Amino acid sequence: MYGMRLGVDIGGTFTDFAMADANRGWTAVHKRLTTPDEPSRAVIEGVRAICSENTIAIPDLAEIVHGTTLITNALIERRGARTGMLVTKGFRDTFDIGQEQRYDLYDLRIQFAPPLVERRCRAEVIERLDHEGNVLVELDEDDLRTSIVRLVEDEKIEALAICFLHSYANPQHESRAAEIARELYPNLFVSTSADVFPYAREYERWTTTCANAYSQPMVDAYLRKLEDGLAAIGFTGNLSIIASGGGLMSPSMARRYPVRLLESGPAAGVIMAARIAEELKIDGLIAFDLGGTTAKGALVRNGEPFKKYTFEAAHAYKHKTGSGLQLQIPVIDMAEIGSGGGSIAGVDELGLIRVGPRSASSSPGPACYGLGGEYATLTDANLTLGYLDAGFFLGGKMKLEPTLASEAIEGVIGQKLGMELLRAAWGIHDIANEDISRAFRMHATERGFDYRRSTMVATGGGGPIHAARIARKLKVPRVIYPAGAGVMSAFGMLLGAASFEVVRSHSQPLETLEPSKLGDLLADAADEVRKHLLTAGIAAEAIELDCRLDMRYRGQGYDIEVRLPMHLSLEEQLKVLPALFEEAYREVFHTTLEQPLEITGLKAEARAPKPGFMTLGGRADATPESALKGTRKAYFPLAGRIVDCPVYDRYLLRPGETVDGPCLVEERESTCLLDFGDRGTVDTYGNLVAEIGV
Amino acid sequence: MNTQRTIDAVDLSIMWNRLISITDEGAAALVRTSFSTLVREGYDLTVLIFDAAGRMIAQSAKCIPVFIGTAPTTLSHMLRKYPADTLVPGDVVISNDPMYGTGHMFDLAVMRPIFDNELLVGFSMGITHLPDIGGMGFSVSATEIYHEGLRLPICKLYKAGMLDHDVIELIELNVRVPEQVTGDIFASVSCTEVVARHVLEFMREYQLDSLTELADAILTSTDDAVRSALRAMPDGVFRNEVQVEALGEVRKLVCAINKTGDTIEVDFEGTGPCVGAGINVPFPYTRAMVLYAIKCLTSPNIPNNEGAMRAIEVKAPLGSILNAIPPSPSAGRHAIGHFIFPLITDTLAEIVPDRVAASSGLLDIVTLQGFRRDGSPMAATYFCAGGFGGAEGLDGHPTLPGSSNMGRTPIEVFEPLTGLTVLEKSLRPDSGGPGRYPGGAGQTIVMRNDTGYPMRVYAMANRTLFPADGVFEGKAGAVREHWVDGEKMSGQGAYTLAPGQHLKLLQPGGGGFGDPALRTSAQIEQDIERGFLTPEGAKSLYSHAG
Repeated sequence: MYGMRLGVDIGGTFTDFAMADANRGWTAVHKRLTTPDEPSRAVIEGVRAICSENTIAIPDLAEIVHGTTLITNALIERRGARTGMLVTKGFRDTFDIGQEQRYDLYDLRIQFAPPLVERRCRAEVIERLDHEGNVLVELDEDDLRTSIVRLVEDEKIEALAICFLHSYANPQHESRAAEIARELYPNLFVSTSADVFPYAREYERWTTTCANAYSQPMVDAYLRKLEDGLAAIGFTGNLSIIASGGGLMSPSMARRYPVRLLESGPAAGVIMAARIAEELKIDGLIAFDLGGTTAKGALVRNGEPFKKYTFEAAHAYKHKTGSGLQLQIPVIDMAEIGSGGGSIAGVDELGLIRVGPRSASSSPGPACYGLGGEYATLTDANLTLGYLDAGFFLGGKMKLEPTLASEAIEGVIGQKLGMELLRAAWGIHDIANEDISRAFRMHATERGFDYRRSTMVATGGGGPIHAARIARKLKVPRVIYPAGAGVMSAFGMLLGAASFEVVRSHSQPLETLEPSKLGDLLADAADEVRKHLLTAGIAAEAIELDCRLDMRYRGQGYDIEVRLPMHLSLEEQLKVLPALFEEAYREVFHTTLEQPLEITGLKAEARAPKPGFMTLGGRADATPESALKGTRKAYFPLAGRIVDCPVYDRYLLRPGETVDGPCLVEERESTCLLDFGDRGTVDTYGNLVAEIGV
Repeated sequence: MNTQRTIDAVDLSIMWNRLISITDEGAAALVRTSFSTLVREGYDLTVLIFDAAGRMIAQSAKCIPVFIGTAPTTLSHMLRKYPADTLVPGDVVISNDPMYGTGHMFDLAVMRPIFDNELLVGFSMGITHLPDIGGMGFSVSATEIYHEGLRLPICKLYKAGMLDHDVIELIELNVRVPEQVTGDIFASVSCTEVVARHVLEFMREYQLDSLTELADAILTSTDDAVRSALRAMPDGVFRNEVQVEALGEVRKLVCAINKTGDTIEVDFEGTGPCVGAGINVPFPYTRAMVLYAIKCLTSPNIPNNEGAMRAIEVKAPLGSILNAIPPSPSAGRHAIGHFIFPLITDTLAEIVPDRVAASSGLLDIVTLQGFRRDGSPMAATYFCAGGFGGAEGLDGHPTLPGSSNMGRTPIEVFEPLTGLTVLEKSLRPDSGGPGRYPGGAGQTIVMRNDTGYPMRVYAMANRTLFPADGVFEGKAGAVREHWVDGEKMSGQGAYTLAPGQHLKLLQPGGGGFGDPALRTSAQIEQDIERGFLTPEGAKSLYSHAG
């Protein structure tokens, strides 16, 4: 079912393309400048270009998979639609009251993201349910109509979020309200909270619903332009969009749930890492990505990335966690830290070097870009240390200026601390590594993940320069460098499969849960998730179902996720649940309690079959000439000095070949750095697999 | 020793960060396995590293203010009882004494000496809020410390690696949820072990024989940074006082702050005596709150360690409500202790006007007991926040807790938990203290008892008599009020909510910053638009014509 496919990732600077034909293991890549005024233009032009470069007829493309930061940027820059909200009477101010918690105890000036919907665009509706879904107050339809008319006519809203209390338990009032809104205004975009994310916790659910409504008009317009443009150049295949949880969505799913497109870019690198874990049978893996502004880490166990169901978007104050919009969506659980290539280095009040979280971004960018940037950044340090080739950055597409880098570091760090240039540059590099290690340690420990026995997979333009040293700090014994780290967000998408997940609140003591009730709950959720995949054209028999229950000891405030053994009958599933729960509980607490159990929620995910695993590397046909390009002077403190460091051409390394650190292995968009004691071997997939020295 | 010669800024950044990372990792592991909701949701715990001389050099970054500066005191008392040269590998010392710790007995400190072979190189410590410590539970109802549960002497839980089963049994016999309490204690024990192991690995990686030189560098840099921040502030002696509700009584908290050069001294001389309820504040808690306030005003980004406290001295008269000694009870010491923070910031407002916020409306804590609709017993605590104070150039945020930081319970979680129906949770207009930058609005919460059973309401409210004051001519916010149907209730006490009755909680606003006459018409119009003011309120509070 998977033929010729094309992945497209729109980044801040470049739009990346990766094409793969799983049937013959063939791949190609392409890169061009992003067109920020109209992102679909670069996509259309790029599709045409990569097809013509490789003499592929556009109608032969079976699928285009697409990742976009459109929604993320719209929330940050507040470029969404004017949105109205209908809310249960008494709760219009929920967003202003907020979370009633300070995210920074030491800063008396913290600020929070302003609500997406202005207070005047929020109308209260007479209706009320209890937590079991019983109607306490009937929906007042006349009052509702008046409010909708006012919001549309006077406030000129284009999208409407319908947010009632306890709608997760009974969507009836919200659905009726949506029906009335659509009757009155057929062109109005409407989102209901029970549809967007039917989970108890009104503040987060309503914020998510408003973000969804807010994004709907622009996503609709964007997709229409993209669909029309692709059709015009002859594309007749499937268009998919990658979602934050790593699954692919059809355009109609994306139009209905645009909020799930947040964070779609970074998910692709994790998909690649997860597929490597699956293919190489690695049980614990850390996917590490370092880009222009941040570094990210995600954990993968037995080929499944860790997920979470809360996500904070659009931080409003000093990049701080807690200052953004609190959303509920399925998302790959990532540690994110403000250490990227563009992160600015400086000296703090303690006289210590700090790197990030402020970033020089891509414009003006690091000092060495020569675009007028004066800040010393991580990229400037890496260039000064000899890890980057000034003449071969982005495969020579961009020239770097080493003098500008040194001057910036001297000015910002060297002179202030009376430190020589190399030491200061090393400080920036090593401190970034330490900060990233610290964030990963915390992330892994909080999730009970033993990182010391795991493998790291490095992607992103900057990941491969830092991975080996971070692994060493974390005592991670092995690092895998897939080929094409710099275009991984486009390529990784081609390894993902269509999927859709719902999360639902349902609280009930386990002993009162009848098999028939469990069956109803499962069937209901399964029907919903399957429906989305069937509509997207996936054959019913190909859809796999994954169901999990959130469970807890009654009275405890902490849920444990238990995967349902779907091959068993409902009676048997219920019978084994306590044992499965105890097993999962013991992993966290190293003990179990003598207390009754309850379930609190249900997660169901429908998945289409995954495409076959392939990589961008693995050129068994590479010419037998030596991959050694030459040497470059680079700073290796383990040697205590600058060494003549061997530089290899990644494209000429053949499977089975080994390289010993210290060395640099260059490809167009990234450079792998191996330190003293590290040894890298190219595997049959073209991955460079490094055993890290101790 | 000249530390500058051997440890430069790069080494210091990396090594210092690593030590903090070790404590953070320890704290994360403890939070993950903790049975206490306060630990899980409020980070009511801390993990620390000391050098061989008992100097605290690293502390987990995420913890509540009560742990600032308290652990060094705890360790010094432990070492007074068990001198360092008598400790052996595998010893673990514990204490929950409120006088040596954090002011109440829920917090248990677990300490382990770190040995590199036979050489003592430092100490690791974990402190967590236990799920229970016996006595009357987490409340202010005690009239003597003896009612508040199990007060352990400083003792060895492990002697050279051997567990003292008598100590564990003693604890198990005295608490309500022994499995959970011992579970948390053993988690702390293994946390100190992991921290100790990581410290030794760290020392090997950087080829250190001792932590002393690194500790010197950390403490000196920190002390220097704090002192340079203090030097930048004007000198003077600043006095202030505040009245607080103390369960049917009123207490005056008095402070004099003497800022001279690079030091600061805070003296609570003149503060009133203890009361016969568990709201008295042992000195370590008072000191922690002072250190917290000064940290916010001078050096909020500096990691916590002993160097950050050298330039700051705190005094309070023995036996006063800010230096309580047994038998005065103190389980709910935060009820009074939370006023220390605004007292300090208000006092220093004139010399650091751009860094303070006016007083906030603080937290309301209501405990509810009764039965759910299905007849099952129910007990729940409801937290809600008043408005935050205004600051230079910044309006006070509505409904944001001050001093403490407990979050809200979502209505969709609270209703099934209690059987109450929340009918309204809205901004309380006209409650924020008027000012050029007004205090944040409080809120109005109305809930109906739909359980069919009478419900007991235990209120621990403050700010019902004394509002959040403004600064620099800013005005005070509205006070807190509790109502049952049409009847106004006492903010501190217990009453019954009959089936069908409505409990109404009016939350206070924050204090205003600056002269309200300087608030522009356009800003006032926007305050009306945003629900912070009514048109009538705009008229009466700001003389706004509208």
